[in-house]
Amino acid sequence: MLNKILKFTSIYVFCFMSNYVLSHHAFTAEFDANAPINITGKVLKVEWINPHAWVHVEVIENGKKTVWMVEGGTPNTLIRNGITKNSIKPGVEIIVRGYQSKGKLCLPRCIANGRDVTFPDGRKVFMGSSGTGAPRDGADPRERR
Amino acid sequence: MESFVLNKILLISLFLFTSLSFSNDYTQTKTWFGDPDLQGVWTNASLTSLERPDYFESLEISDEQVELAKKASESSFEVLDNPYEDGETPKSGGDVGGYNAAWMDPGNDFIRLDGSYRSSVITYPENGKLPRRLTRWALEGPFIYRMFTRADHPEERSLGERCIVGFGSSGGPPMLNVLYNNHYQIVQSPGYVMIMVEMNHDARIIRLDSNHNPDNMKPWLGDSVGYWEGNTLVVKTKNHHPQQKFRAGIRHQILMMEGAEVIERFKRTSENEILYQFEVNDNKAYRDTWKGEMPLRSTNEKIYEYACHEGNYAMANILAGAREEEK
Repeated sequence: MLNKILKFTSIYVFCFMSNYVLSHHAFTAEFDANAPINITGKVLKVEWINPHAWVHVEVIENGKKTVWMVEGGTPNTLIRNGITKNSIKPGVEIIVRGYQSKGKLCLPRCIANGRDVTFPDGRKVFMGSSGTGAPRDGADPRERR
Repeated sequence: MESFVLNKILLISLFLFTSLSFSNDYTQTKTWFGDPDLQGVWTNASLTSLERPDYFESLEISDEQVELAKKASESSFEVLDNPYEDGETPKSGGDVGGYNAAWMDPGNDFIRLDGSYRSSVITYPENGKLPRRLTRWALEGPFIYRMFTRADHPEERSLGERCIVGFGSSGGPPMLNVLYNNHYQIVQSPGYVMIMVEMNHDARIIRLDSNHNPDNMKPWLGDSVGYWEGNTLVVKTKNHHPQQKFRAGIRHQILMMEGAEVIERFKRTSENEILYQFEVNDNKAYRDTWKGEMPLRSTNEKIYEYACHEGNYAMANILAGAREEEK
């Protein structure tokens, strides 16, 4: 019985925790699940930095300009995949769907998780090279020296 | 008699031919100072997880099983990549998620060693599972819970979020594969081997033919000393930093308590591969020693500077979010 309780406790801990370890940091600690967003705007700049890249987007709604910082993942993976900050030029229009940060002061900019980022025609802005999202891992002998 | 001798000669010839035909000994290259050369950029990206999933029954798995598992992996990434229907706005109360598959690089194949695919990194215990001492794991629950829920100040958050070391046991030891940035650069100099871990840009410096530092010194990634056993680098690490006692990624969650010792073996088996083996001895968190192995494959990729602190806007956002919730 004790063993069952312990097993349940440890499984509970890890089920709880698995929400937090998908990435470098806990998205659930940063973003508000009750604040979904669906915004369209023009790219101002891309910060191609670790641990996470940020895309700055200017959104105009009812004549009011708002700038959003949209969080992505580590740029290392995309760079290996041939995608650089120059692949997403300033001025390009994109649609961001995701969730706003828990802090909503929007100072200096509003913050969102770019759960889904597309061009208006539906193409993904950031594309993985294969179904597993694995560009080059050395498993393919052709990649080796 | 003549026939008997002839048969013997034929048998011996056959044995020698067979031995020569199947021997695949890699001629180990040496550094300028005579140590076996392990230098280069290597990756352990792999779809194989530390522990064996329940749907696999053995360490070695068939090509068909691997194909099925790879298809399942691809499907899960497609779901991750397409969270919403066309034109759909995310639902309130939904999963804020992380990021989509484009940002990940978990590898595109399972570990393959000795010609067979592997279902787990763990080779011992034979069931491929960590021999967890459940009482210890349950006792660590509050520590783990606090690490992921409290945000009064940065030091309460996990080491990965704080840009101290990579999440999971990417830097090791043992060095385990995570969802991305699974690259390592090995550089050698007389008396030292350095392993640069891409995830968080951690450098583990292994002192050769040296004693451990005093036990009160507990550096990040532990205190590693090593020696050469033929062409195999043997590394012993103890005095792991107490804040690194819990290491979690999607593919593994391990405890490394005070007093734990990790023994690693690095043997170059070909120009393009190092066989990486390890065993963990930690009788506080585990009922038994556990062992594992995986290939480190050479890659032409560069290691990019991670520079985590400089761009870690997320920490400020997490703390701001916690203050917002306190209102």
